[in-house]
Amino acid sequence: MFELIGIPPMLLFGQLMIGLINGVFYAMMSLGVAIIFGMLRIGNFVHGAQYMLGAFGAWYLLHLPDLFPGLGLPALGYWWALVIVPVAVGLVGAATERLFIRRVYDLEHAYGLLLTVGLAMVIEGLFNVRYGAAGQQYNVPETLKGVVNLGFMFLPIYRLWVIVAGIVVCVVTWFVIERTKLGSYLRAATENPDLVRAFGINVPRMLMLTYAFGVGLAGLAGVMAAPIYQVSPQMGQSIIITIFAVVVIGGMGSIFGAIFSGLMLGLIEGLTKVFYPQGSTTVIFVIMAIVLVFRPAGLFGKETSAFHAADMSNARSDSFLENGRLWLPVLAVIGAALPFLVYPVFAMKMLCFALFASAYNLVFGYVGLLAFGHAAFFGASAYVAAQSAAVWGFPPELAILAGVAMATVIGALFGWLAIRRQGLYFAMITLALAQIVYFYAIQASWTHGEDGIQQVPRGYLFGMIDLDQPLNMYYFVLAIFLAGFALIYRIIHSPFGQVLKSVRENEPRAISLGYSTDRFKLIAFTLSAMLAGLAGGTKAIVFQIASLTDLHFMTSAEALLMSLIGGVGTLLGPIVGAVVVVTMQKEFASLGSWVVVVQGAAFVLCVLFLRKGVVGTLEEYLSNRQARRAALAVADRPETPRAGAAS
Amino acid sequence: MNAVSTDNIIEASGLTKNFAGFAAVSDVDLNVRRHSIHALIGPNGAGKTTTFNLITKFLAPSSGRILYNGTDITSESPARVARRGIVRSFQISAIFPRMTVGENVRIALQRPLGTSFRFWQSERSLRVLSERVDELLTAVGLTDQRDQTAAGLPYGRKRALEFATTLALEPELMLLDEPTSGLGNEDVDRIAELIRKVSANRTILMVEHNLSVVSRLADMITVLARGRILAEGDYSEISNNQQVIEAYIGGEDD
Repeated sequence: MFELIGIPPMLLFGQLMIGLINGVFYAMMSLGVAIIFGMLRIGNFVHGAQYMLGAFGAWYLLHLPDLFPGLGLPALGYWWALVIVPVAVGLVGAATERLFIRRVYDLEHAYGLLLTVGLAMVIEGLFNVRYGAAGQQYNVPETLKGVVNLGFMFLPIYRLWVIVAGIVVCVVTWFVIERTKLGSYLRAATENPDLVRAFGINVPRMLMLTYAFGVGLAGLAGVMAAPIYQVSPQMGQSIIITIFAVVVIGGMGSIFGAIFSGLMLGLIEGLTKVFYPQGSTTVIFVIMAIVLVFRPAGLFGKETSAFHAADMSNARSDSFLENGRLWLPVLAVIGAALPFLVYPVFAMKMLCFALFASAYNLVFGYVGLLAFGHAAFFGASAYVAAQSAAVWGFPPELAILAGVAMATVIGALFGWLAIRRQGLYFAMITLALAQIVYFYAIQASWTHGEDGIQQVPRGYLFGMIDLDQPLNMYYFVLAIFLAGFALIYRIIHSPFGQVLKSVRENEPRAISLGYSTDRFKLIAFTLSAMLAGLAGGTKAIVFQIASLTDLHFMTSAEALLMSLIGGVGTLLGPIVGAVVVVTMQKEFASLGSWVVVVQGAAFVLCVLFLRKGVVGTLEEYLSNRQARRAALAVADRPETPRAGAAS
Repeated sequence: MNAVSTDNIIEASGLTKNFAGFAAVSDVDLNVRRHSIHALIGPNGAGKTTTFNLITKFLAPSSGRILYNGTDITSESPARVARRGIVRSFQISAIFPRMTVGENVRIALQRPLGTSFRFWQSERSLRVLSERVDELLTAVGLTDQRDQTAAGLPYGRKRALEFATTLALEPELMLLDEPTSGLGNEDVDRIAELIRKVSANRTILMVEHNLSVVSRLADMITVLARGRILAEGDYSEISNNQQVIEAYIGGEDD
């Protein structure tokens, strides 16, 4: 048999075909995400879960008689599923919009992303509880069985059908949005809802239908995917981050860009599998990084010159709750007593995550950048610290420093790539970049894949102090935590911190005063990565392991959740949040896979009802009380001058 | 008129900005004389704010060239241009709402200290600026509100604060985007007086709708309509220009 550039053509075309199939799904999914993002300004992280719902929907329909025995329901096959499931998933989407999404339209974009992350965790968590990691089989429908001989390869008819049907769906959708009156109403409604309302159009309903439509597309993709991939609770989780990267590559608000990039990237991924298999999981993210360097707005995106950092802070800088000089000794005293109240290991976990969340909050709360990839810094540092302690025999303090150095370098690099974008795009980019590190750790040999680096020695601090003694280890971690806390406080209250504050509050004005705000943001981001690395490296020494969990996007989400629960942009919030989340994880550990559901629900509830977090709410209460007192004092005052005038 | 120096601080030539095929500004030549008060007027959509954004580099021109003191600044970043001494205000009052009035001014004074990247230094190091902060606040009549958060100020006072912040940078060229819009008569007079006061040894380019303010302050007026220059001259020339009268009456209402 002949070969092409040393590759058997069967293999080449086979992988290209798989790539094209993946590309069709990427295109359909990115299309939905791009529509929802373009029209509703929501980064629909739950899209992956909705795709999974579509696949399960098809599977349920086929198993109706087994699921509801005795009702005499027929088993509904693929063609029924193709009609019923997208509508059903779309209806679920409409209900989701009505109950949840609608409440965050007027808030900072961050909340929409957080809300949908929470919803995804709840939905995927519930399916995981019921079905576990095992996939369900869904057979190719009878009518589409068999293969066509293309001469150079055999193509299963079902795959041909997916390619043709998927592309038709994408093209029709593009046409409706870009070329019809309905589409122009939709686009107008996002530009200027009041004006469109004045035309007599029910804008809320239109937005609900748009969301439902985007979600329905995910459901349709799910049905079409069911016979090709395993129907499993995890199928959406693995695809959604790739989809976000595809949308970034395609470009801001470009429907065509989403479709085109989806197809192309599927093909490129397929080619990578042939020529450089190790790179196939990361190639899309790497392409995204390259595109960002040369075309920050994406391939087909329009360059927008919107300067806008999100002010998510809940603090009042003159409040005693923000006074680090007061809280540093208080935390030191509490910290010193802690190992006598709870297990030292548990206390150390709290401290590591409190530092991690505080580091994250520096960039999220105090700069207003929605970073979503801090697991990369935390985890990379953990791996480097573990490697240098376990393999190279570094003492613990140097191992942690090595980890910190790695986190700082990666932080500076990721920051440089992402900093020119704002809001949701910043979140998507940092998320996708972090995946590069995650997939690298799965494949590199020194990281030992699923096992991670185990049995890391704690060693002797400065060659003298035996860290295998739990209390020695604990006080070392406490010292690191307090140092990190002090540094963060200093950063916030430095000349540099003042500029950060001005950037957060009014970036165009800060620029007009002569500050190159991107540089300030980049430095803050790098400092935040460095401190996240300090937490990660310390964690590796404490728990004597570095594992994929440290790099998983759920770890980034946890940092976010901790900041949110405690109070974004407050000094103490992330610490309170870390204590709450770590305790919650411990208490719910017995629930097994329910933990994800509980955490997801916590996300949703926080976004809907506790946006200011514990510390932020307390701050609000205190400041209201102060305002009431001041008002009372003013009300009392008229008496005084009159008395004075009389005398 | 000012005879201190007759050269131009800004020389913009062939300035054009297209937005998706629509020319917001086309082929504008604008010379701003040093130490003058120069007003840009024109009906809505004439391209005044776009011109502002082009000169301060908040927008990149599609074509054309901008010289500032003879230096080509066409491809510089907005922050760089600001550091050169061109400082702008915004249509919506540009303050830092959750910082105190004093901090608002201090953030502008802080930059020349050169310590703005020092994240390891205490903000107490900025106390050396308090005296200058107080001077600037006194100049705009905000001394009593120094420790109050800026968000709580009435609208007219916010504009005064913005003015103080801009002045803090000792700009050579101030660009004021509708400095009196949304103000009551009393505040309009105060701001106009302030503009006159600070215009000594400075150049001011302003977009202004209030023609009485323009007549009182401006040495030179450029009238824009549909992205092009319609007329240029002092107030009496402009107010008698037939084309200008038509543009205002026959054009889009204001």
